[in-house]
Amino acid sequence: MPFLVARIASEYTNYSLRDQQKKVINDVHKNGMEYYLQGDDSYGSYTMLKQEYIALEPAASGLHIDTIKTVSRIIEQDTLSYRVLSHTFKIKNKNYLLEIGKTVGSINEYNKPLQRIALYVLMGLIALTIIIDLVFTRVLIRPLGKIIESKLVNRKFPFKDQSEPIKTSTQDFKYLDESLISLMDQINIDFEKEREFTANASHELMTPISILQNKMENLLADDQTTEDVALRIVGMMKTLDRLKKISSSLLFISRIENDQFVKLASVKLVDLLEDINEEISHRLEDKNLMLNINVKNQVILKNVNHDLLFQLFYNLINNAIKYNVEQGSVIITDTFNKQGDYQIFIKDTGIGIASEDIDFIFDRFRKANLAENVGYGLGLSIVKSIALYHNIDIKVASVVKQGSTFTITFPKVMLG
Amino acid sequence: MKVLIVEDEKTLAYEMETFLKKAFYLCDLAHTVAQGLEKIEINSYDFILLDLGLPDGDGLSLLPKAKKYNPEAAYIILTARGNLEDRITGLDLGADDYLAKPFSLLELQSRMQAIARRKFNVKEEAIPLGEFSIDVQKRLVQYKDQQIELSRKEYDLLSYLFLHKNRVLTRMQLSEHIWGTFADDDYDSNYIDAHIKNIRKKLNSYAPTEWLETVRGVGYRIKN
Repeated sequence: MPFLVARIASEYTNYSLRDQQKKVINDVHKNGMEYYLQGDDSYGSYTMLKQEYIALEPAASGLHIDTIKTVSRIIEQDTLSYRVLSHTFKIKNKNYLLEIGKTVGSINEYNKPLQRIALYVLMGLIALTIIIDLVFTRVLIRPLGKIIESKLVNRKFPFKDQSEPIKTSTQDFKYLDESLISLMDQINIDFEKEREFTANASHELMTPISILQNKMENLLADDQTTEDVALRIVGMMKTLDRLKKISSSLLFISRIENDQFVKLASVKLVDLLEDINEEISHRLEDKNLMLNINVKNQVILKNVNHDLLFQLFYNLINNAIKYNVEQGSVIITDTFNKQGDYQIFIKDTGIGIASEDIDFIFDRFRKANLAENVGYGLGLSIVKSIALYHNIDIKVASVVKQGSTFTITFPKVMLG
Repeated sequence: MKVLIVEDEKTLAYEMETFLKKAFYLCDLAHTVAQGLEKIEINSYDFILLDLGLPDGDGLSLLPKAKKYNPEAAYIILTARGNLEDRITGLDLGADDYLAKPFSLLELQSRMQAIARRKFNVKEEAIPLGEFSIDVQKRLVQYKDQQIELSRKEYDLLSYLFLHKNRVLTRMQLSEHIWGTFADDDYDSNYIDAHIKNIRKKLNSYAPTEWLETVRGVGYRIKN
């Protein structure tokens, strides 16, 4: 920048010297040399501070000078640096030398202020540009921000809330907005369809079962029903009960897999296990079993479904009781693993699971080869569905005739 | 008491009517929302049993309108849809109870009785039971002046048998009443037997309990 300013000053000086040269020569032609010389040999004119001077003196005939140079001159004991224009010209056939000089100092005296002002102007312009850019892009990008805010932030599946299209004239943003709205509407529609389907399936399955159950109840209580017939009716009711349980379990699993349960509750595990204990403790008496809940940590799980979690643990503990032996035990303990996840262990002294069956126990309707008809095979499938839905991991280790241990792992993020 | 059964499945409505008639309720039937509303506008009922999946509309839509004509009635919602939301919405709209199909008619009567006690202030005094007396309001069994110590489940068993006296109740029906959806026939049957044994033992120390019968292969019955 300083270089530029200096060059401009220098160029301008040259220009102005030439300009002055023209003016001087015009005046001399107009007024004649004698007007200036006035009998002297030469003519010189200095400004008071010696910043400028013009000198005229005769020159040798053949002399030709036309230069602009920077030279040092001594004037009245002051050594100053001048930018000097030297030019020879002829008047009335006499050769004269004209010198116009300007101190370098006076040429450059405007440099610094000019530079400073230029700098200020430059900075001002930069600031203005930045402000304009920021405002402009903000204004341009605002629709995008609005789209994100109205459509994506804080949206919970299945996007039931109506989405308002945002006002924008930009084609791309409009398209993006409309696409998002249409996508979410579609998801919502599909979800509702699925929900309606399972509700209808439930209705269609449960209504005939309901009719049969009530018919049989009335038949059983009928005066004309003999003891014999009563026995047969009870047999039918047991079978119907089985059908009822299987249908409800399948519908239940279907609902879980279609995300129809909310996960908004916080559950204190110890309390949940105690509740289950209350529900199920009567079943311990049959085989004289012992149920020990040794959960040391007061862990709270967040963003879960209470009823589903209840069902999960209930089924596991129920199995531990169901497949147990006389005077056996069910022991529940807990720990934190290396990654900070929380684990619950349900250990029973039951009949165990054969290694070739272990991989399949969570499959629907898969039962171990047992002498008695124990259960319908859906309990663990339900457990698996609930676990999957909540991102809970379940593993089992078992030894036949010794017992099984189920390990339920809750990832760190679930802990409140 | 007067009951309106709003149910589109005619066979089901018929069974409910048969059962409730035996328990001395007067029954009217309706098979659509329109029919239901018609009946409610003309008559006044104590109980309205409302199915939700009706052909001409959702049963829930009937509730607010029905309440205008019959505000004192007790509304019980019956549905096979199985949605949790239905239960919440129903109770919010003012229903008194909710039963998911398939339900036991015994359970239905038990709920209706509980509502009657609560809502209609039916004061029941101690009723004789053999040489004992049972006070349903206070939930206790007495011999002369002495209160007999029964656990909650034992009382629930006995009172259920008593409510449906002269009727055989299967172990299934009994365990479903006590444990609800978590009833599991395999285990709870034995438990029912054990409980009945306990009840007999406790009562027998005061007076005979031949009114509490075992019906072989079927279940139990209180004969009164």
